[in-house]
Amino acid sequence: MRALTGLRGPRAPRAPSAWPLLLVYLIAGTPWSLADGDPPDSPFTNLVGEEMMTKYSNLSLEIHSISLTVSSIHHLDKERRGAKGYLWTKTTTTTTKKTNQISSWKDKPAHRRKDSRHDVSMAVSVQMWNGDFSSDENYLPCLLLGRGFMTNKSSMLVEKNITLEKPSNMELTCQFTTSGDLNSINITWRKGDELLENNNYLINASGNTLYTQYTFTIINSKQMGSYSCFFEEEKEQKGTFNIKVPELHGKHKPLITYVGDSTVLVCKCEHCFPTNWTWYRSNGSVQVPVDVHMNDKYVINGKHANETRLKIMHLSEEDGGSYWCHAIFQLGESEEHIELVVLSFLVPLKPFLAIIAEVILLVAFILLCEMYTQKKKKHPEEGKEFEQIEQLKSDDSNGIENNAPRHRKIESGNQ
Amino acid sequence: MAKVNRPGSTSPPDGGWGWMIVAGCFLVTICTRAVTRCISIFFVEFQTYFAQDYAQTAWIHSIVDCVTMLCAPLGSAVSNHLSCQVGIMLGGLLASTGFILGSFATSLKHLYLTLGVLTGLGFALCYSPAIAMVGKYFSRRKALAYGIAMSGSGIGTFVLAPVVQLLIEQFSWRGALLILGGFVLNLCVCGALMRPITLKEDRSSPEQKCDCRTQKEDCKRAAPYSPLTKEWAQTCLCCSLQQEYSFLLMPDFVVLAVSVLFMAYGCSPLFVYLVPYALSVGVSHQQAAFLMSILGVIDIIGNITFGWLTDRRCLKNYRYVCYLFAVGLDGLCYLCLPMLRSLPLLVPFSCTFGYFDGAYVTLIPVVTAEIVGTTSLSSALGVVYFLHAVPYLVSPPIAGWLVDTTGSYTAAFLLCGFSMIFSSVLLGFARLVKRMKRTQLPFLAKESDPKLQLWTNGSVAYSVARELDQKDGASVATAAPGYNLT
Repeated sequence: MRALTGLRGPRAPRAPSAWPLLLVYLIAGTPWSLADGDPPDSPFTNLVGEEMMTKYSNLSLEIHSISLTVSSIHHLDKERRGAKGYLWTKTTTTTTKKTNQISSWKDKPAHRRKDSRHDVSMAVSVQMWNGDFSSDENYLPCLLLGRGFMTNKSSMLVEKNITLEKPSNMELTCQFTTSGDLNSINITWRKGDELLENNNYLINASGNTLYTQYTFTIINSKQMGSYSCFFEEEKEQKGTFNIKVPELHGKHKPLITYVGDSTVLVCKCEHCFPTNWTWYRSNGSVQVPVDVHMNDKYVINGKHANETRLKIMHLSEEDGGSYWCHAIFQLGESEEHIELVVLSFLVPLKPFLAIIAEVILLVAFILLCEMYTQKKKKHPEEGKEFEQIEQLKSDDSNGIENNAPRHRKIESGNQ
Repeated sequence: MAKVNRPGSTSPPDGGWGWMIVAGCFLVTICTRAVTRCISIFFVEFQTYFAQDYAQTAWIHSIVDCVTMLCAPLGSAVSNHLSCQVGIMLGGLLASTGFILGSFATSLKHLYLTLGVLTGLGFALCYSPAIAMVGKYFSRRKALAYGIAMSGSGIGTFVLAPVVQLLIEQFSWRGALLILGGFVLNLCVCGALMRPITLKEDRSSPEQKCDCRTQKEDCKRAAPYSPLTKEWAQTCLCCSLQQEYSFLLMPDFVVLAVSVLFMAYGCSPLFVYLVPYALSVGVSHQQAAFLMSILGVIDIIGNITFGWLTDRRCLKNYRYVCYLFAVGLDGLCYLCLPMLRSLPLLVPFSCTFGYFDGAYVTLIPVVTAEIVGTTSLSSALGVVYFLHAVPYLVSPPIAGWLVDTTGSYTAAFLLCGFSMIFSSVLLGFARLVKRMKRTQLPFLAKESDPKLQLWTNGSVAYSVARELDQKDGASVATAAPGYNLT
């Protein structure tokens, strides 16, 4: 609904597009009355209900509610000058309806809700008009201010996840708003596929809204699961509460250790406090509990209630594999998987030896090059010395030879 | 020993085998600085395995850094007395042993000893000799060579960090330490590359060594168990030490040392506190990590480009000025930092600071070489990096204490900024004083034979030598200031 989120209207009959679905509304202590069609109150059922409530009154109360409606509210950003009012129209492929014709559109200046599902089948446009609503001629669109789309999903999946550690009383509420006839709606609660009894849920209706509340107590793990409220109109609308024990989220990278070393496997739960922790190993699909009594091999301890540490000493290759830590709550268990890999020391030794071999080769090569260039320098030097000696010798000999002719010449010259 | 007969290459080749030396130094910087930074990736593993908290495991990194810097003079001494090749190979073996022993560690104390002390010692034996070697092989393109060599730390961190992470995932920290030990053994390859070179100025110094040499020969001739041997040995030692570290008395070097102290104090906290500061002004985690990456990448660019830039003819004589300009600009950036409170302002800050950080890191060895000459460069660099150690250790905790007590980062950053600006101002002031003294030189030279004057006043000799340098364009007679030829 990005197109219309920029529009915000100050006054005027803004019509937030309430989709003929369910509206959300958090109840706190509204008086309940039974809707028509419900079985009459029997004192027997009331008594049973009261007894149950008093028995478990020391348990905490959890209140959760679901809004099954997607209501997208469109807002007009600015007032336009000279406008006498604003007109919202709803255009489908077949019809165009204007504000005053859709009774379920309510002006709710305070709400800003966005729709997140996109199934384009309808356009909503805001138009400015200069007249009153009474006659159609006045509905001349002077200025199209915005347009947006709304979803029209046939079945909507609205879920809420509830994490529960301890037994507690539950109050689950669903709300539903429709423009149609409230009496024709059939309300049921189910756990999974199993239909729940009528006498535990209350139904209330006010205006266009239908509220239903299911109260019960969870005391053991069998009562955990998915609880759904169903509103059967033309299409079935359903809201689901998934009640589960807290899950453990941990690292997923395998833990690498070496033979003969010791290691610590840690399981942590951020915001929950299990009553107990247990450790299992698995080879394949079967989980076998870790034998904690071997004190020289396994030590389990945990500094805080929300973590457990399994220390394994004198590791061997058979100790590698999958380890599972189970967090035990009163209402169930959740588990986490840790992978332990035990390597022998030869594994990193191979790259290490490769690097050492490379280093030795390079050092030998460089030193040999250096010795070679030094020898080369020596030999040219020696060669140069030889040359010099020879040159000296030849100079000497040339000198002796030359001296004679010179003398002769001089002598001849003198003569 | 044919080289003794013929002096070989008498001037820095500025190329040829010099580029292999640069490649070797690049690898040394990767294996030492980058690997030190990557050790922090192991901390999470150590914390879970040894069940210790972050403060205990962070000591390993501090120990390595500290030992590397503190033992830098030892490294240069070893390479001076044995040979550069032997020194670096020894360092590589030590560091690799540290890693290999660390992979068998059963407690955090073992890691402090092996990964901390042993590896740090090995790195110290490699780092300053390698950098000194680059200085010997280059003079015209010295800054560019240093830029390329020092960019190893940035590039190495960039490449090694994901590799180390991968190694830890595949082999867990023990296997990763073992393989990293093998990688560090490549320092031996770098050591093999460092062919010794004798330069012209090295020939002049043997004349001064003859006092000690004759004494040494006398020691050997004398009976080994004579009571005089110890005395001889001590005087020999004193004599050689005095000679090697004579540059410590040079006023230029003292000024440089003090400025390095303040500069090292200022530059280290940023890398520790940029991310927390960015988070405190509202930048997200990813954007803060992005700031650090920018800092690292621009650091590399600053290394190489500033090195190339200061090699240009117009700037070559002003490398000192460029160095203090870079340090001063970094200090100014620090002063502006408390006013930058959003990401669009912090990104240019990261770029500027990173660039000039890389710039002055490149120029430290260049400036040191200009001051002490290439003979003592190895020992001088050892001392300079030794002076880095204590501020590196002390500065982040002090900054952290300031942040905790004042509740904001302003005081810490201002202190660091002023420290760096003071460092650069000190250098500029020293240069000004020297210039003023130099204007008095012509008067002295006119009075008597300049050559006689050369050996009586150390600072005068240095100034004259510098003038000669500028004429020749090569550092020829920078050695032997302050020596008295008798």
